[in-house]
Amino acid sequence: MRMNAIAMVVVFPALVMMSNVAAAAAETKPDVKGLYLLTDYPTVSVRPGTTSTISLRLQNYGLPPENFALSVDGAPAGWTATLLGGGQPVGAAMPATDQSVSLQLRLDVPADADAASKTLTVKAEGQGNSVSLPITVNLAKELPAKLTLTPQLPALRGTPKSSFDYTVSIKNDSGRNLTVSLAATAPRNFETSFTESYGTQELTSVPIDAGLSKDVKLKVRPPSSVDAGTFPIEMTATSGDTTAKTELSLEVVGQPRLTISGRDGRVSVLNAVAGEQTTVPLVIANDGTAAADNIELSGSGQSGWKIEFDKKTIDRIAPGQTTEVNALITPTDKALAGDYMTTVRASSRGETASTDFRVTVGTSTVWGMVGFGIIAVALLVMFGAVARFGRR
Amino acid sequence: MRREGSPWQGLGTVLLKELADHFDSPRMLLLALLMVLAAAVPFYSAVDQLRTTTSEDPFLLLKLFNPGGQTLSVVAILGFVIPVMAIGLGFDAVNGEHNRRTLSRILAQPIYRDALLAGKFLAGIIILAVNLMCLWLLVAGFGVFFLGVPPSGDEFARALVFYFIAVAYAGAWLGMAMLFSVLFRSPATAALLALGVWLFMTLLWPMISPFIAALVSPPDVRYTLLGILDPQTAAWQQGLSRISPYLLFEEATRTILTPTTPSLGPVLDQIRALRGEVVGAALPLRESLAIAWPGAVSLIAGAIVLFVATYVVFQRQEVRA
Repeated sequence: MRMNAIAMVVVFPALVMMSNVAAAAAETKPDVKGLYLLTDYPTVSVRPGTTSTISLRLQNYGLPPENFALSVDGAPAGWTATLLGGGQPVGAAMPATDQSVSLQLRLDVPADADAASKTLTVKAEGQGNSVSLPITVNLAKELPAKLTLTPQLPALRGTPKSSFDYTVSIKNDSGRNLTVSLAATAPRNFETSFTESYGTQELTSVPIDAGLSKDVKLKVRPPSSVDAGTFPIEMTATSGDTTAKTELSLEVVGQPRLTISGRDGRVSVLNAVAGEQTTVPLVIANDGTAAADNIELSGSGQSGWKIEFDKKTIDRIAPGQTTEVNALITPTDKALAGDYMTTVRASSRGETASTDFRVTVGTSTVWGMVGFGIIAVALLVMFGAVARFGRR
Repeated sequence: MRREGSPWQGLGTVLLKELADHFDSPRMLLLALLMVLAAAVPFYSAVDQLRTTTSEDPFLLLKLFNPGGQTLSVVAILGFVIPVMAIGLGFDAVNGEHNRRTLSRILAQPIYRDALLAGKFLAGIIILAVNLMCLWLLVAGFGVFFLGVPPSGDEFARALVFYFIAVAYAGAWLGMAMLFSVLFRSPATAALLALGVWLFMTLLWPMISPFIAALVSPPDVRYTLLGILDPQTAAWQQGLSRISPYLLFEEATRTILTPTTPSLGPVLDQIRALRGEVVGAALPLRESLAIAWPGAVSLIAGAIVLFVATYVVFQRQEVRA
């Protein structure tokens, strides 16, 4: 503690001295005197039919405060040039000594303005001083884009069940920080949403700093009933008067969709017997948009159950067509009487369909008779013993 | 004085006469009905449980006798009812003859006391065996009828072994009932004492024997802290519990009827689990038999010992009334 206190005592005055020196250096006035009308960019490009704003500054170096009348000369016919200060039109400005006043020159350029460059002169006139600033306005038909959209993969292909993710980078070239709102137009019933490239939060607009770019993800989900074909998606990014568009395309390839059901839609098998094969007719339909090829059938049930098919594979089912096969279900020898679930599956290159069948296993009549026989033997033993050994 | 002629002379006559008496008596009919009704309830619940929870089981027939878990099984009911039936058949075997004053008349015939006692005992055993066989067939028959699954050979053999153990168990209780019928002249005393022993052995002894085991061999603190039974105490507990024919029967039948959990008693099970042995695997019939053998033999030996005691007491008794 004591050491620290001593150090403070020694160091603190030194710090104060150093800061005094720095302040004195900053306050040395530049060797400039007078009144100046300043702008950062004396020559600008403007697109006809738009409104532009040019920042100005009236700087007073070492003069007493004075009233300066402001005016703009040289505006061509049809143009409107207005000087704004603090957001409203102003006619005069009064900068204090060594102070400046911010001004803005607002230019409304008519759409039919000819392409030649024009020079406007902004004047500030006081009692003794007067300054003027010529500003050259170039008229450009096409300004460099302020927003650009670059899709990384503009055309995607998939099935109606897949989700199409377009990663689009938005670049802000406008020189200002912008908040860009995003929109996408897609065919009817297509679902579109924007997310960050590595996020799940959906968004409608993104802030982008000047000169930077940002990746957003456009997720398009076609309706599951969509037919095969190519669909255009248009993505729009808007910020104020700037708009950028990009065309994306989405190709949906046809997909088979299989369904399995029993004949007449029945999914129950009533009279299976333990250890005996039961034939169940199945209808396999393709409701999809493409043909299903090479359909493999399989089934599963309780352990020990055998589920086979008279045709193990089906070569092809055209869209909208159905095929009938027979499933051969054999419950295990040891299956108790009761209801069991079995699953029948059809799969064709990634497309699978499955249906649960409820199989009711009844007691085999043979074993029912055997049961009765054993009960009869039991009664025979009893009555036989009584009859044989009872009092005669 | 040397005995002349075969001691078995007249055995057949006594046996047939006793069988005829029993088969015609309403007592046997009532006892048989009691056994069937008592077994019907747990049998039905076992069938119900199997139909709803089991899709396939390699030991269905055995599950009908002993479904496992907390449910009351046919076997547990039989463990209670078989002694009642045996006592009911045997409690007045000898003193009944005394009281009707027929004993001296019978012995006046060329029939030795050996043949009389053996005939009565054999007749009781045959009656019990026939009844149990009936019950066994009813369980198997209704089981096949309700579940629709035939028993496998292994199951059938196990069920038959269970039947023989049950007959041996019945024989032990019949021997006890007959011993009391020789010891006491009043059938009521004999019946009450036999029922008292039955109650003590089936209900009280399973509760008392762990206490006695803990008294004789107090469990080591180290085992208690570990939460397992001291092997010494467990051995005492098991040994003491085997005094009761009910617990012997229960142990033997459990081993035979549940091949998947062949329990060797709490302590051995613990040791097996500690050694990493899988306790749930099914044992072959031969192994189950080897485990159940001491219990079954004890039951048979108990029946013989009790019969011999009865014989000795009867031979030394004054039969003239």
